[in-house]
Amino acid sequence: MDNPAFELKGVYFSYLGKFPALRGVDMHIEQGKKITVIGANGSGKSTLLHMLDGLIFPDKGVFKAFGREFKENDFNDEEFSGNFRKKVGLVFQNPDAQLFCPTVKEDILFGPLHLGVQKKEIEKRLEEVLGILEIKDLLDRSPHQLSVGEKRKVAIASSLMINPDVLILDEPTAGLDPLTTRRIIDLLIQANEAGKTIITSTHDLHIVEEISDIVYVFSQEKKIVKSGQPDVILEDTALLQANNLVHIHSHGHKGKTHIHPHLHIEHHPEH
Amino acid sequence: MHKNNFVERSIMGALSFLKESIFADEYALRKGFLQSLDPRIKTVTFMLFIVQIILAKHTLILLCLYALCLLLTHISKINLGFFLKRTWIFIPLFSLFIAIPALFSIFTPGEALAAFNLIGLKFTITRQGLSGAALFVMRVITSVSFAVLLNITTRHFELLKVLRILKIPQIFVMTVGMCYRYVYLFVEIIENTYIAVKSRVGTKIHYKSGQRLAAWNMAFLWQRSHQLNEEVYKAMLSRGYRGEPASLDDFTVKTKDWLWASLAVIIFVLTAYFDYWLKA
Ligand SMILES: Nc1ncnc2c1ncn2[C@@H]1O[C@H](COP(=O)(O)OP(=O)(O)OP(=O)(O)O)[C@@H](O)[C@H]1O
Ligand SMILES: [Mg+2]
Repeated sequence: MDNPAFELKGVYFSYLGKFPALRGVDMHIEQGKKITVIGANGSGKSTLLHMLDGLIFPDKGVFKAFGREFKENDFNDEEFSGNFRKKVGLVFQNPDAQLFCPTVKEDILFGPLHLGVQKKEIEKRLEEVLGILEIKDLLDRSPHQLSVGEKRKVAIASSLMINPDVLILDEPTAGLDPLTTRRIIDLLIQANEAGKTIITSTHDLHIVEEISDIVYVFSQEKKIVKSGQPDVILEDTALLQANNLVHIHSHGHKGKTHIHPHLHIEHHPEH
Repeated sequence: MHKNNFVERSIMGALSFLKESIFADEYALRKGFLQSLDPRIKTVTFMLFIVQIILAKHTLILLCLYALCLLLTHISKINLGFFLKRTWIFIPLFSLFIAIPALFSIFTPGEALAAFNLIGLKFTITRQGLSGAALFVMRVITSVSFAVLLNITTRHFELLKVLRILKIPQIFVMTVGMCYRYVYLFVEIIENTYIAVKSRVGTKIHYKSGQRLAAWNMAFLWQRSHQLNEEVYKAMLSRGYRGEPASLDDFTVKTKDWLWASLAVIIFVLTAYFDYWLKA
C-alpha cells in the first residue's frame, strides 16, 4: 500500500502571482494506479498535471514525488532532473505546444535523445510506438501541418518514447475519432497492466470508468471537491451537474417541457 | 476591393513564404552535396567564406564568391529560382541592419565629418560612389546567400549542436533556438488570427475598425505567442531538454569532408591573395 508516486498537501499555485489556479489541493497517488481528474474548464486540471510533471512548483503547501519533497532547486541537479524526466512523462493538452521540431520524427525522438537513451533502445521503441499509434506515414511531415487528431497521436508517441513509469495525459482523447479513442484507452489500460501509473484528465465521462481506480473531481473553486471510485462518482449526478460535467436536455413532450440530465457515461460499442 | 485583396494576398503570401523559407526542413533532407557534408566542417567553411566576404575589397572577388555560392546551391539540389527569391528578400532587411551602425556614427563626436558626409552623399553619385554602393550590396547579398544556404541545407537541431561544439555559450544557442521558435509561433498565430477575424467580420473590414483590430491584435498576438512559447519551453523541459541540443546522427568526418575543407581553404587563400593585389 505504501508506495506513493505523488503526495500533495494543501497545495496552492497561482500564475504570475495573481491568477489563482490551485487553491488547497490534497492528493495521494499510489504507484501503479489509474487516476482520472475531471472538472469544468479552468478548474485547474492542467495546472495540477504540470505540477506533477515537475514543471511548476507550489506557492504554498507540500509536493512530494516518489516519497521525496520537491523544490524547484532540485532540478538544477542534472542527475536528479534526468532521472525524474525519465520516470514521468506528460502529454500536453495542446499538441501545438508539445510538438516543436521541424519533423514528426525529430519530435518523437526528442525525449529519448535528450535523456541519453541508447541508440539501439531508441530504435526498438520507435518501431513499437509507430506500430501502436499507426503514424509511420507521418514521420517526415512537419507536425504543424497535421490534423488535430494526428497531432495528438504524435504527441502521445513522443511521450511514450520516454517509456516513463508514470504517464500523465491531459485530455488525450479530445478531438479523436471513436476508433482512435478506443485504441488510446486500450493502450493506457495495457500500460497500466504492465505496472505503469496512469494519470489522465478528461471531459469524456464515458471513458472514465475504464481508466480509473480513483477519480478526482475539481470544482470551479480550483480544488478537489470529491474523490472516490468511478462508479460512486459517476452516480453522483448532482455533483457532476454542479461541475459542468453533464448537460441538461430539454425537449417537448405533449406540450410539456421535459428536462433531464444527460450523462455521457454509457459505454460506446467496441469495434 | 481589388486593393484590399491584393494587400491580403501579399500579406498571406509573405507569411507563408517566410514560413517556408526559414522553417522548412525539406531542403535539409534532400540528398545533395552540402547536405552530405559533416555539419561541423560545413559550418566552419561557411564562416570562413563569410569572414572573407566581409573583408573583401573588390566587387570582382565578391562576384566570384557569389558564383561559388550559386554553384553550391545547384549541386545541393536546390532550385536556383527559389534560392534567389529567398535570399533577395532579405536584402533590404539586412542592409537596414548594416546601415544602422553607420547611422549612429553620425551622432558620434566629429560634427564636421558628419556634415561632410551628408553633403558628400549628395555630390558624389560618381563612379566611386556607385562602385561603393555596388560593393556594399554585393557584400550583403553574398554573405546572406551563404548564411541562408547553410541554414537550409542543415537541420535545425544539428545547426544548434554545431554552435555548441564551436564553443558558442549555451545561453546564446538556447536564445537562438528560442527566437527561431518564437518567430515561427508568431507567424502561425498571425495567420490563424487573421483567418479567425475574417471569418467573423467578413472580408470587408472597414478601414477604421480594421485599424482598431490590428492594434488590438498586436497586443494580443504578443501575449499569445509569448504564452505558447512558454508552454513549448515546458514541453521541452518535460522531455529532458537542458539547453544542450542533441540529434540522432553522430557527426562523422569522412574523406569527402576533408577534401571539401581543403578546397575551401585553397579558395580562401587564393581569393584573399587576389583581393590584396588587385587594383581598386
Ligand atoms: N499561463 C497562464 N497564465 C495565467 N493564468 C493561467 C494560465 N494558465 C492557466 N491559467 C488560469 O489558471 C486556472 C486553471 O487553468 P487550467 O488550465 O489548469 O484549467 P483546466 O482545468 O485545465 O481547464 P480546461 O478544461 O479548459 O483545460 C484558470 O483560471 C486559468 O485562467
Ligand atoms: Mg486543461
